[in-house]
Amino acid sequence: MAELTQNEKRLLADLEKEKTADATHLADLLEATPEAVVQWAHLAQDRGLVTVERIVAKEFVYTDEGKVYLQKGLPETQLLQDILPGTTLVDLQNHEAFRIGFGQLRKKGLVKVEGTSILKATGASTEAYELALKNPSATDTATTEIVKRGLLQETETVRYIISITTEGLAYAQAGLDLRGETGTLTHEQILTGEWKNLHLRRYDVTKLPKKAYPGKVHPYQRIIAEMREILLEMGFEELYGGIVQQSFWNFDALFQPQDHPAREMQDTFYLRENLPLPEGYEKVKAMHESGGETSSTGWGGVWKEEKAEQCVLRTHTTSVSIQHLAKNPTPPVKAFCVGRVYRRETIDPTHLAEFEQLEGIVMDEGVTFGNLLGILREFYHRMGFLSVRFKPSYYPYTEPSLDAEVYVEGLGWIEMGGAGVFREEVTAPLGINYPVLAWGLGVSRIAMLRLGLKDLRYLHQSDIAFLRETPVLRHTKGGV
Amino acid sequence: MAVITLPYKYLERLTRTDRKTILDKVALIGSDVERIEEDHADVEFFPDRPDLFSPEGVARAMRGYLGIETGLPSYPVKPSGISFTVDPKLADIRPVLGAAVIRGVEFDDESIQSIMSLQESLHWAVGRGRSKVAIGIHDLDTVKPPFHYVASPRSRKFVPLDYAKEMTMDEILEKHPKGRDYAKIVKDFPLFPLIVDDDDHVLSFPPIINGERTRVTIDTENILLDTTGTDRRAVGVAVNIICTAMAEAGAKIESVEIDGMQTPTLAPVERTVSVAECSRLLGVELTASSMASLLQKMRFGAEPVGADTVKVQVPCYRADIMHDWDLFEDVAIAYGYDRIQDLPPETFTVGKPHPVQVYAALAREAFCGLGYLEVMPFTLTNEDVLYRKMQRPEHPGVLRVMHPISIENTVVRTDLLPLLLEFLTLNRHRELPQRLFTVGDVVDSCLTYQQAAGVSIHRDADFSEAYASADAVLHELSIDYSVKESADQAFIEGRRADIIVAGKKAGVFGEIHPAVLNAFDLEHSVAAFEIDLRSVWGSAGTQDSS
Repeated sequence: MAELTQNEKRLLADLEKEKTADATHLADLLEATPEAVVQWAHLAQDRGLVTVERIVAKEFVYTDEGKVYLQKGLPETQLLQDILPGTTLVDLQNHEAFRIGFGQLRKKGLVKVEGTSILKATGASTEAYELALKNPSATDTATTEIVKRGLLQETETVRYIISITTEGLAYAQAGLDLRGETGTLTHEQILTGEWKNLHLRRYDVTKLPKKAYPGKVHPYQRIIAEMREILLEMGFEELYGGIVQQSFWNFDALFQPQDHPAREMQDTFYLRENLPLPEGYEKVKAMHESGGETSSTGWGGVWKEEKAEQCVLRTHTTSVSIQHLAKNPTPPVKAFCVGRVYRRETIDPTHLAEFEQLEGIVMDEGVTFGNLLGILREFYHRMGFLSVRFKPSYYPYTEPSLDAEVYVEGLGWIEMGGAGVFREEVTAPLGINYPVLAWGLGVSRIAMLRLGLKDLRYLHQSDIAFLRETPVLRHTKGGV
Repeated sequence: MAVITLPYKYLERLTRTDRKTILDKVALIGSDVERIEEDHADVEFFPDRPDLFSPEGVARAMRGYLGIETGLPSYPVKPSGISFTVDPKLADIRPVLGAAVIRGVEFDDESIQSIMSLQESLHWAVGRGRSKVAIGIHDLDTVKPPFHYVASPRSRKFVPLDYAKEMTMDEILEKHPKGRDYAKIVKDFPLFPLIVDDDDHVLSFPPIINGERTRVTIDTENILLDTTGTDRRAVGVAVNIICTAMAEAGAKIESVEIDGMQTPTLAPVERTVSVAECSRLLGVELTASSMASLLQKMRFGAEPVGADTVKVQVPCYRADIMHDWDLFEDVAIAYGYDRIQDLPPETFTVGKPHPVQVYAALAREAFCGLGYLEVMPFTLTNEDVLYRKMQRPEHPGVLRVMHPISIENTVVRTDLLPLLLEFLTLNRHRELPQRLFTVGDVVDSCLTYQQAAGVSIHRDADFSEAYASADAVLHELSIDYSVKESADQAFIEGRRADIIVAGKKAGVFGEIHPAVLNAFDLEHSVAAFEIDLRSVWGSAGTQDSS
């Protein structure tokens, strides 16, 4: 049995003497309200130490009208006394009890009207009602009617009779510690040593108080951080770049033809801003038009400077990695970038106009397509995805290209991202003379799987209850 | 992406094997199987392979991949004796014409459907919505050669496809559904492209609509293909893909004479590639003969020439082969991605986080220590949230996207606080106090940098809380700052201050103005602050776009 509260103990101490008592009486003894005493008694009752009996008593109280009739008699009684043989309606109409009394007499069938004469019924009597008025009883139908007529009011009073049980008596006789309890320890109590004499209140240790919510990093940010950590461990340098990019770096430097559908207004967010083309852009122009000095044919047609100068919200972080490579053409380069990218998509549960992309590049002498597969397998393994497979794909700036798929229990093979070796049309005009392995993935795809989200918007317009409830440590199995 | 319908019976007949064998392997040549139905499968192919946009093209590739028939497919072409004249006035309108005669066609409902959908897919992938290339297919036996590609007055009348009466070309642009869809390609020209026969019957008004006269039906036996456009290579590719697909279906291809040239030839293009370069790129040991046989599996003509060289004949329909590496990808596909040894490179480098992310992570740590919960709002928002509700003037460096998707997403955020207030609105029904923060990118014109902001909403949130919290974050990030009265209208006067770092404003804190609380439908006071993380020493936080 959990420790009794101080109040339960006090109650038991009094009941040890009283054995049985009304809650009101006990309340006087304990200097508390009867409600409080009943509450303590219920706690003690749950432990089997006392019993609580609830007694409901009905009482009748006279209304002002009822009090008058108690003295004078009910109006029908008064009227009935005055009805003699030969009494007419006119005789009665002046009687002060006529209005109510006559109605009652008619209703009860005690009189009848013949022509102008009023006749008493045989044995007509209002005695039962008079009796009910004088001595109301909850079981009497006449009383019920008197109550209905508003002459009496019925009230309920509840009493609690609290009695000590044999167990309670034994418990009380074994001795009760009735010293006062201390809640919060004060500064003085601690300093003066007074704490030694204190009886510290015990808590119900099973009961959780009001919840506390810690400050936390967003679960999505946590997944991003995990990916960053894996790449840093794998020796990659992190890049950071602007979300506003010139078309030149977002598309042209990546050998995306100027009439490519992805460059159209309906797929890309264009801005009014223009930026001047970087030095040496002519090589990119030549590559587009004729393949430059490589074995490529180029796209043909005329490459227009003004299209390349237009700024866009970056559609991929490749615009950042390609600039890093252009500035750092000496091998080796191993770099990655995580950042927001933009596509002009209608927003729905599985499509957002902005989302995080993670991208990695490796440039070195002698790196191969096989090495790219190796990096991807390693990365996904570290993310917890143990089964990884690759299949041919197409990206305008890589050749060969591939898509990576991972196996997720219950969902099957899920496409995770694309990869490939940068085309020579991309690297040659920027003076990059070694193969560049590049790969990207949608971070939100993994977040959705891991956090069990059905709607991507939830990552960015979160209910904070979700953030409060998602624990910092989430055990994952098979990557999710 | 192009989703191609592959009817099993037709595909099995053309591929000469069963559907299961085909469907099991079709993804390995570069596709996604979208749906498997009772009588057909819908398979998505990549836009660089328009030659796979028909059952005939898929069957051709799969015969090679499965080893049923490898090497270069041959498509003999003989002259039809039919010629076209091209009006020099078309030079600035739609100069390029390609054409071919396709004889002995045996159409049924399925194969008509297949050629029509190939035509549509090519319009999309090669033709850029018909602007670069538009394709017309006609019943050759309804018209009389020679044919004339002319620049016609816009008042010229003819009966367009699916209509019963004559219309002028201007009327077609206005009333015909195809006219309305594609009017923008031609409407600014004084004269319109038109193809007529020797009796001046209209075959086609490219790139808009054919004439009703030459409608192709199930009874059509001989086809005249016209392909017009602005890019010679793209027009040629479209002609080659349609002709070779029809040839796969059993038709005979004949050339026509345009400007004295016989076209099409359907001849392969030759490329000589290095085996060592391919081996180096893929990380696979190859010999000239193994590489040649892998290329043959992908339907190239390939012949080893010495130890390091393979002479390749690229079929005329492979528009995607621009560079030697395009061939190397086909070698990798034929070899099988799953057989390539996947070892990470040995390149030794040391991992290094970017300072901006390092400082962002430290800012997060400070906020969390103060009991703030991180949120990650969108970066696209609108002027109403950023400025009007905040009682702030528009930021001079605000960027407007030119074609926003909705009025909710018109600008890129220049500040974070308004988005945090929006978050509080979203979470009004949740238990207080709520303390939220965010760290992330904002823009000032073409410049991107990071800011950090926090809000605290509860009954007793006040200036002191804002100051104490801002001070804590600034202190943890070792930012040496001073404070002066602010004029920021988003806060209550006398309860707002600017953060000054190195003589420049680097943030603000205070108690949010009740009018702003009203604008965001918030019912309690809010202590708020925002810090420009460029003020962290050595953050290198600014990134120009150029």
